[in-house]
Amino acid sequence: MEQAAQLSLGARVLIGLAVLTGAEFWVAVSGVGGASFVLLALIALAKAALILEYFMHVGKLSPSESGGDG
Amino acid sequence: MTTAIATLKYQIYNRRLGLWLFMLSDSMVFLALLAARYYMQGTHRPPEVNQTLGLFLTCLLLASSFCANRADVSIAHGDRAAFLRNLAATIVLGVMFLLLVATIEWPEALHYAPPSTGFGTALFSLTGLHATHVLSGIIVLLFALFKGWRGGYAQDHWGAEGSIIYWHFVDLVWVFVYPTLYLVG
Repeated sequence: MEQAAQLSLGARVLIGLAVLTGAEFWVAVSGVGGASFVLLALIALAKAALILEYFMHVGKLSPSESGGDG
Repeated sequence: MTTAIATLKYQIYNRRLGLWLFMLSDSMVFLALLAARYYMQGTHRPPEVNQTLGLFLTCLLLASSFCANRADVSIAHGDRAAFLRNLAATIVLGVMFLLLVATIEWPEALHYAPPSTGFGTALFSLTGLHATHVLSGIIVLLFALFKGWRGGYAQDHWGAEGSIIYWHFVDLVWVFVYPTLYLVG
C-alpha cells in the first residue's frame, strides 16, 4: 500500500476510535444501567481490535506476512 | 543478496515475536489489576471521579497513537522528515498525558487514597503502573527520534517500528483502564 493510502487509513482508524470513545462516554453519563458494563466492555474490545489490527499490525505476526517493509 | 534479505526478514520476524511475547506477558499484570478492581469494588465508582479528565486523557493518547502511526508509515516509506515530525508530536502528547496524570489526576484522587478505599488502591495501582509504561515509552521513542535524527533506519527500521508498536501497546492498555476507572459504575 502506498504512503498516502496508509496515512488515510490511519486517519479513518482515528475517527473510528474517536467515535467509539464518544459512544462509551455517552453510555457512562447517560446511565444506560445494568447493561452499561457489557456495552462498555464491547466498545473497549472494538477499540482494542482497531488498534491491534491497524496500528500494531498484529497480522504481521504470521511468518508469511512478516518482513522489513514496516 | 536473496539470502541476506531472507535472513533480515527472519531476524525481523524474531524481533517482532519477541516484542509481542513481552507485551503479552506484561498485559497479564494489567489484567490482574483490572480483575482486582472488579473483585474488590464490583462496578462501584465514587461520584468524585473526574470523568471529563479521563476523557481528555484518552483523547491525548489516541492523538499520540495517530501521530505514532503516521511516523511508522513515514519511516517505512523513507520519509525521514515526516517521521521525525510525527514522532516528536507523539512524544509531546505523551509528556502532556504524564503531566496531567501527575498534576491533576493523582492530586484529585487523594480523596480516596489507599489504603482507605479499595477503589483508590485500584486507581493508584493501575494509573501508576500505566504511567511508568508511558514514561518508558517516551524514553524509547526519544531513542528512536535521536537515531532517526542522526540518519539511522535507512536500511532496517525495525527499531523505530518496534518502539512505535510498544507505544500503541501503552494506548491499548489505556483502552481498558479508562472505562474501568472512569466509566463503569
